[in-house]
Amino acid sequence: MENLSGLNSRMTIAIETHGLTRCFGDLYAVNGLDLCVEAGKFYGFLGPNGAGKSTTIKMLTGLLAPTRGTMYLLGEDMTDANKAREIKRRVGVVPEELALFDNLTAREYLTFVGRMYQLPMATVRDRCQELLTIMSLDNEEKKLTLEYSHGMKKKLTLAAALIPNPDLLFLDEPFEGIDAVSSRLLRDTLKRCVQRGTTVFLTSHVLEIVEKLCTDVGIIAKGKLVYQDTMDQIRKSGSLEERFLETVDSDHVERQRLSWLED
Amino acid sequence: MNWSQLRTILWLRWRLTRNQWSRGGPLNAVITMIAAAGGITFGAGCGIAGILAGALALSRASPTVILVAWDLIIGAFLLFGTIGIISEIQRSETIDINRMLHLPISQRDIFLVNYLASHLTPSIILFLPGMMGLSVGLVLGRSWTMICMFPLVLAFIFMITSWTYCLRGWLVTLMINKRRRRAIITGVTFAFILVSQLPNLFGNVLFHPERHRSNNTTQSTQSDRQTTSRPHIGKDLALPHAVLAAHNYVPFLWVGNGAMSLAQGNAWPAILGSAGALLIGGWGLRRAYRTTFRFYQGQTAGRSIPRKTNAKKDTAVARNFLERQLPGIPAEAAALALAFFRSLVRAPEVKMALATNFFMMLFFGAMIFVRRSATLGDTFKPFVATGSIALVFFGISQLMCNQFGFDRGGFRQLVLLPVPRKYILLGKNLAILPIAVGIGLTFLVLIKIAMHISFIIIIAAGFQLVTAFLLLSMAGNLMSVLVPYRIASGTLKPTKIPAMTVFLIMVSHMLLPAAMIPIFLPPALGLLLSKAGWLPAAMVNFFLSIGLLGILALFYWLSLTGLGNLLQQQEKKILQVVTQEVE
Repeated sequence: MENLSGLNSRMTIAIETHGLTRCFGDLYAVNGLDLCVEAGKFYGFLGPNGAGKSTTIKMLTGLLAPTRGTMYLLGEDMTDANKAREIKRRVGVVPEELALFDNLTAREYLTFVGRMYQLPMATVRDRCQELLTIMSLDNEEKKLTLEYSHGMKKKLTLAAALIPNPDLLFLDEPFEGIDAVSSRLLRDTLKRCVQRGTTVFLTSHVLEIVEKLCTDVGIIAKGKLVYQDTMDQIRKSGSLEERFLETVDSDHVERQRLSWLED
Repeated sequence: MNWSQLRTILWLRWRLTRNQWSRGGPLNAVITMIAAAGGITFGAGCGIAGILAGALALSRASPTVILVAWDLIIGAFLLFGTIGIISEIQRSETIDINRMLHLPISQRDIFLVNYLASHLTPSIILFLPGMMGLSVGLVLGRSWTMICMFPLVLAFIFMITSWTYCLRGWLVTLMINKRRRRAIITGVTFAFILVSQLPNLFGNVLFHPERHRSNNTTQSTQSDRQTTSRPHIGKDLALPHAVLAAHNYVPFLWVGNGAMSLAQGNAWPAILGSAGALLIGGWGLRRAYRTTFRFYQGQTAGRSIPRKTNAKKDTAVARNFLERQLPGIPAEAAALALAFFRSLVRAPEVKMALATNFFMMLFFGAMIFVRRSATLGDTFKPFVATGSIALVFFGISQLMCNQFGFDRGGFRQLVLLPVPRKYILLGKNLAILPIAVGIGLTFLVLIKIAMHISFIIIIAAGFQLVTAFLLLSMAGNLMSVLVPYRIASGTLKPTKIPAMTVFLIMVSHMLLPAAMIPIFLPPALGLLLSKAGWLPAAMVNFFLSIGLLGILALFYWLSLTGLGNLLQQQEKKILQVVTQEVE
């Protein structure tokens, strides 16, 4: 009975980790992370540089093996290689370091990804066209991805993450290097995804974006989850920036001054 | 740049190298040091050999013989150096100027440090001691006037390295446009291969003396034999006047010309040659400097190729290549194969590898097979066909044994894909199949025409081609999973891989001929059975080739699951290797 209720609760939880740890030699990049993200939420994952955000996303998406700990995505055990492959069918990823093939055009790349997710060819074709248009990449049909700017590559990676219409979307710094117009478009697209039930897990350094978009926020520092709450609760007690600075212990930073600027 | 800054820059370079070594582990550091010690020892050996050759072998040689000896050394040096340029066509600076431009350091000094560091190439490490040793030997063996060889050789090296540096910088500026870059890389490679192989083609294939004599037996005279006999050191060679005159005007030949003149007691050609080489070298270095900083400061005219804009967009989008289905192949594997194939045929480094290997194998094969065709009996012709198949795979083994190294960041996408890993391997193999079959069939057609081999042997060789492909695919899949290494974009050069990986790659390439043994079984058994008088060789060869193909196809299919599982286990490690950029 307990097992059944545990299973049911996992069905409504999109991401769940217990004691998730990743060491690089002596360094604990992520240290015993216990995370729980409900399905259908727009979750902002924040932290200072080197806190372990990207390492966490890499582990959750299967790009990096955890040293220890368990992780469940959409109710399935991500550490089981065979189950992980099945989960990947329902997951879209925009990794921090982009995952493009240099020598394909945008349309070819999207077609390739669509076919990998076993979408019907007509669907692949339609979605490719829509995504290329909406990302303003359709004017560069002949360009190979190696000729793209960083922003264009980011948009193409996002398009590839969206093409399978995933239930869970991981976005590692998706707004980095993207112009204001595309950024607006991206925000609207993500909101629309969440409205129709997709869970979005996003990391960003831009707190304003997280504040505008996210329903829930988690803050990681030194590899540990140090804060987690809903955006509504945070707004009641101040701004996200205040809460973030409090949580990551920024007092010592405020006290520090450069000696040669003090004279 | 003051002394402190120079020291800091040298420290930086050392630190980057040391960190790279320490990341590879102690074993890699040891192997690297052994390789470096080997290079230095070999260079020293060349120096000693040069001294002995100059002091003993060439001490009484005629001036013309000395000229020819130097020409051969310079020719070998240039050929070796050019191979180095081709393998790393883009200049990789020792100190990345991009990261220094904002610092208060003299640009000229950084440039000079990089230029001097560019001398640390295998061609210079091996040839310069040899050239200097030969000069010492000539001084000891002949006369003090030969001392002029030192400035001449050094000026020549300066001329070559400065223009090489300039050429590489110029290519970089041209290749700002990435599409143009592809054309340049492929074009330069083709040009180099063709030019370097022309003497082979003329000397060994088209106008080989044996071939010439077999066609014109009446011309097989005493004078013919004299021209093909080797010259004895000490006897004078009679070089045509035009050849000797060319030595006065072609800078590459000035070293030989200077040496010959010094042996005749005339120092002026050597002095003038040194001065000329210095001037040309200085001009090259000046151009290299200007080109380099124009490039880094964005002053180059990196015109983009005009591209048609889609003024009118059709609502119906044309069916693209990646939408195709491959009969009998799972949809995901087919899509992977098509994507990989499209990437391969567009990648300049792959074109370069294929072009290089195709022509090298063609000329090499022609030298071996065509020259012997007149004397080779029908009995051994099946081995020629099978041997040509084996040659195909020597050429594309790097592609097959490091399938993920060319993906670089793209491999991240493969890890994210929800497909069985055996389909990734199948897709990779299928992408190379048309290339292997294309080159193999070209070789077979050429052999059929050149050697009049029967159709049944050629068809049997066709089956052996696919068999060899399956064999190499299995070995290549295993190697790709266990010993991956990153190939820098636009080059064929692995990006500073650990010495242990280098060792394993070398071992695998040495074992490659052993992997080809099974395809020689059908012609070998055919020969045995026909010699015993039991069955005709061609029929045995044909049917055994089919049988062998069937067995290998079964093995290949069975291996995919196991190797796919291995890939799944190793994929994160592979990802780390092929996506890691090393300074």
